[in-house]
Amino acid sequence: MANLNLTLKVWRQDTPQSKGSIQTYQANEIPEEASFLEMLDIVNEGLVIAGQEPIHYDHDCREGICGMCSLTINGVPHSGGLVSKVTTCQLHMRKFKDGDTIWIEPFRAEAFPLLRDLIVDRSALDNIIAAGGFIEVRTGSAPEANTMPIRKKTSEAAFDAAACIGCGACVASCKNSSAMLFTSAKAAHLNLLPQGQPEKHKRVLAMVRQMDNLGFGNCTNQYECEAACPKGISVDNIAKLNRDYIIACAAEGVGVYA
Amino acid sequence: MKDIITTICQFVTSSVGRKVIVALTGACLLLFLVGHLAGNMTIYGGLGGGNETSWINHYAQGLHAMPAWLLWAIRLGLLAVLLVHIGFTLVLKWENVNARTKYQKEGTLKATLASRTMVLTGVTIFCFMVFHLWQLTYNGDPANCYEHIVHAFINPWCSLFYIAAISCLFMHVRHGFQSVFQSIGLSTRKIRPIFDLAAIAFGLVICGGYISIPLAVLAGIIR
Ligand code: HEM
Ligand code: FES
Repeated sequence: MANLNLTLKVWRQDTPQSKGSIQTYQANEIPEEASFLEMLDIVNEGLVIAGQEPIHYDHDCREGICGMCSLTINGVPHSGGLVSKVTTCQLHMRKFKDGDTIWIEPFRAEAFPLLRDLIVDRSALDNIIAAGGFIEVRTGSAPEANTMPIRKKTSEAAFDAAACIGCGACVASCKNSSAMLFTSAKAAHLNLLPQGQPEKHKRVLAMVRQMDNLGFGNCTNQYECEAACPKGISVDNIAKLNRDYIIACAAEGVGVYA
Repeated sequence: MKDIITTICQFVTSSVGRKVIVALTGACLLLFLVGHLAGNMTIYGGLGGGNETSWINHYAQGLHAMPAWLLWAIRLGLLAVLLVHIGFTLVLKWENVNARTKYQKEGTLKATLASRTMVLTGVTIFCFMVFHLWQLTYNGDPANCYEHIVHAFINPWCSLFYIAAISCLFMHVRHGFQSVFQSIGLSTRKIRPIFDLAAIAFGLVICGGYISIPLAVLAGIIR
């Protein structure tokens, strides 16, 4: 059990309007088994004792399921490129070496306005869901299993898409700040299942149009998002959204839906 | 029933729709590369007994023997495809730059160099194409095409520029080829690595074919 001494380069910004900058902090005697957020807690304790403002950052469950934590570490969201498929709260300090310099920045994108320090407003993602990422009718409580037969492959693909925790790492990692991985996962998990069929075209059109209106960039098929995603959401969903969007536009154009 | 014109307008202004258009025009340009290379390969037929028997001169004269309307329809069609491709990609790129906030420290996990330099390689290809058309089409004569090409490429600077531009084309095609399938929604986890390998193979064959011509001229194989 060793302790680490680290240099942190942290983005500090008091208000959405103010001009932020990188500040340097020493993080000394950090236990290897601490999580990345616990490391920040230790640094913050020191700052509070010294009468300084602690570093503000987002977090909630700290067990990799809520999608609230959001740091970009050494230019890579969540994992810092050290491990695949982890959230910041599940990244452990044992992945770093004594003497490392760590850059800590917010999830950056024009569509994610910065609130304070490392906290950004990701409600743009909620707005995409609100546009169509739901089923409009009341479907009742959970039915008897297997009353509606669904192929195993299909249900697994839908489940994999539904694993998205909406953290926004895809947007933060994308060289174009595109929200295609998020949008496509949220559309796919409903579009794949029988319950999602009646509103499929409507959903796809509404979600893509909403995404475009919110100032995200356009996908250029670099697949950074898939590599950065803590849940390993596949870019297959993006191909599916592209396909579904073409079909939905055709359906809308000839008036066979709605 | 929703107005079909509205739907089309929304398609061509949406992120996904514009990507589809870039992909389809890109695919047309890829097909053009194949056709153009096939024609160029006739240069390996040699000069034969002279200008009249050279394969490539026959081929060049054949192209010009097409009815004028057909020749110009093809030329203008290709130009339109190219301009749509360039126009849409530049608008998309402009939006992408504006959508992004730069990191103080940037990190990359998977994006290839080729994918990150598409505009740069594309613009280089465009500049090359202007020069290429001026040099070999505008100033050329189908009756002595063969000699004209040899004369052009015997100049090492001209050959070097050609090779550099085709190298950019390789980079462009290496990302573009597999990107087409993703953009039009035909890619899956299983087939994506195959498209990616196919992109490299396609790029190597096509660009290798083009580059072989100036190299063969410089090496004295074609003279
Ligand atoms: C013979 C010439 C060309 C060929 C064969 C070609 C081919 C392609 C292909 C296949 C794609 C991928 C389409 C997609 O799925 O998005 C593409 C994308 C692109 N092309 Fe071209 N192209 C050519 C010329 C140009 C030129 C002259 C430009 C000038 C600006 C250009 C700029 C771009 C850009 C910026 C992209 C988007 C890259 C991305 O989405 O990552 N291309 N091209
Ligand atoms: S804090 Fe909930 S996923 Fe990290």
